[in-house]
Amino acid sequence: MEIRPILSALMRSKVALVLIGLQIALTLAIVCNALFIISQRLQLMGRESGINEVDTFTIGSLGFGTGFNVKTSIEEDLAMLRGLPGVAAATSTNTVPLSNGGWSTGISLKPQQRTSSASSAIYFVDEHGLDTFGSKLAEGRFFTADEITFRERGDNTWPSIVVITRALANRLFPGESALGKQIYLDNEGAPQTIIGIVERTQVPWLGFASDEGPDAEYQSTFVPQRISFSNFGRYLVRTEPGRRDEVMKAAEAKMAQINTSRIVREPRTVEAIRAETYQEHRAMTIILIGVIVALLAVTALGIVGMASFWVTQRTKQIGTRRALGATRGSILRYFLTENMLITSLGLVLGTVLTYGLNYWLMANYEAQRLPLVYLACGVVVLLLLGQAAVFGPATRASRVPPAVATRSV
Amino acid sequence: MLKMNHLSKVYRTHLIETHALRDFSIHVREGEFVAVTGPSGSGKTTFLNIAGLLEEFSGGEFWIDGVDVRGMNDDQRSRLRNEKIGFIFQGFNLIPDLNLFDNVDVPLRYRGFNAAERKRRIEETLSRVGLASRMKHYPAELSGGQQQRVAIARALAGSPRLLLADEPTGNLDSLMARGVMELLEEINRQGTTIIMVTHDPELAARAQRNVHVIDGQVTDFESEPQLRVPAQGSGAAVTA
Repeated sequence: MEIRPILSALMRSKVALVLIGLQIALTLAIVCNALFIISQRLQLMGRESGINEVDTFTIGSLGFGTGFNVKTSIEEDLAMLRGLPGVAAATSTNTVPLSNGGWSTGISLKPQQRTSSASSAIYFVDEHGLDTFGSKLAEGRFFTADEITFRERGDNTWPSIVVITRALANRLFPGESALGKQIYLDNEGAPQTIIGIVERTQVPWLGFASDEGPDAEYQSTFVPQRISFSNFGRYLVRTEPGRRDEVMKAAEAKMAQINTSRIVREPRTVEAIRAETYQEHRAMTIILIGVIVALLAVTALGIVGMASFWVTQRTKQIGTRRALGATRGSILRYFLTENMLITSLGLVLGTVLTYGLNYWLMANYEAQRLPLVYLACGVVVLLLLGQAAVFGPATRASRVPPAVATRSV
Repeated sequence: MLKMNHLSKVYRTHLIETHALRDFSIHVREGEFVAVTGPSGSGKTTFLNIAGLLEEFSGGEFWIDGVDVRGMNDDQRSRLRNEKIGFIFQGFNLIPDLNLFDNVDVPLRYRGFNAAERKRRIEETLSRVGLASRMKHYPAELSGGQQQRVAIARALAGSPRLLLADEPTGNLDSLMARGVMELLEEINRQGTTIIMVTHDPELAARAQRNVHVIDGQVTDFESEPQLRVPAQGSGAAVTA
């Protein structure tokens, strides 16, 4: 291979070498970090909430009439919803995963504990909560109808039993079963006994308690209560597969019909809630993909432009090389090798820039350290891109006839 | 060493056919120093290009060192060119971004010699042309005569059987031209066959044999070696 003479010839065209090398270096740095961010976003968006999102929707009502009784309204609504054709299960609830609103608390293992042992989202549900959410019970049992109470205005006490997720159980009782153990939702109140462990239910907020690790987003607690301290009632409904949209319309119409002293809040599918929650992440992903494509295209065009210019500039030289015995393949290889060297120099600088940018993102935007595989992928992509971009001009160079060497112009 | 029989070269466009060479026959024996002369447009360069396998010919027969070049593909022609032919160009055709060592190295790399063999040949040929001390210099740092000497070293490094020189002194002043010519004569005395295209009757007169080309046809005076007529300008017939 002609690496040394190509390199020494390149060193005499330092400006072009530096410019294209810098372009490649910047592209590598941005592409690698952007790919990493995209993959993290995709991973984030792809996480399962642990509930049945396909067949579920939420619906609510806000009472305004003087005679409006929230407890009666909730019971009537639930009875109506459960009786609707196509409904598989329905529960009252204060929130659903990914809805970006709800109730959370710090859980203690001892009374008067100064710092809580774990953060948890609170889902107030009834005996149909588990079935409606579609979450999987891993250990113990869920609530029965007679364990469900109303949470009145000013009520600061908590029921004596709870069901928690496995993530919360592992956080509170690492290496042992949490079933039957006691926790404190209020460190100044009575303890709650854990009667069941649910496999997985995501909390309503993204990035919840991130200091407690990535599993903190699955630290949820189910409490056997219906909220009656406001005129607001909220329900989660799970339908038979494929009947969600039809049931949603029927539920809205029926709720408006059975009680006229309230406003029925427009039902929303859990899928729509998820889409809205991840809207920014999706937009960011699309923008970053656009940036990557644009950068790669600009870099490829830069290489094509530079290589084309050099081929035109060196036509006589190429003819001379052909006259001196270079085959077409030798000329093609010369330009491919030259590009490989330029790209490699750019990639060496790009590696430093890539980790420099990553360090800056870590320091300023809580990014994580870039795994080496992204750098490796970026290097391979840019090497291939460089070779592909230069292939056209290199082929043109290989077609320069050797007789050019004897032409006077 | 080089034999062409009834060779023709036709350039065709969709409008016109140009016969650059017609019924062109020449026989150059091993060790000869032949000057090819003729007016501009007579076909000298076309002859040189075909002789150097830089262009294909349209018809006829052509052997180099006993090898029939008809039907050879581009790669075969490139290898034969690299192995058997050395080129000296009017404009030197050195690669400006390579130092003298790397310039002379170019054909040797295509030949596939190992690094030690290439180094030996480069040093030997640069010494032969008196530029061994300037191996790390770049062409722009040399005079025209010195550049042509480097080009000669490059042409000789692969030990070719045939040296083709296209107006080798065309870009040089008379002092430098004399030096280059003396070098070519010395190379010829050591056994390398040389075919030199030139406009210069003085240079042509120093060759062992002159071939005059007019309108793509050759007058080869090999069969009349005793006849010797002084040159009468670029368009006149000269002798061997």
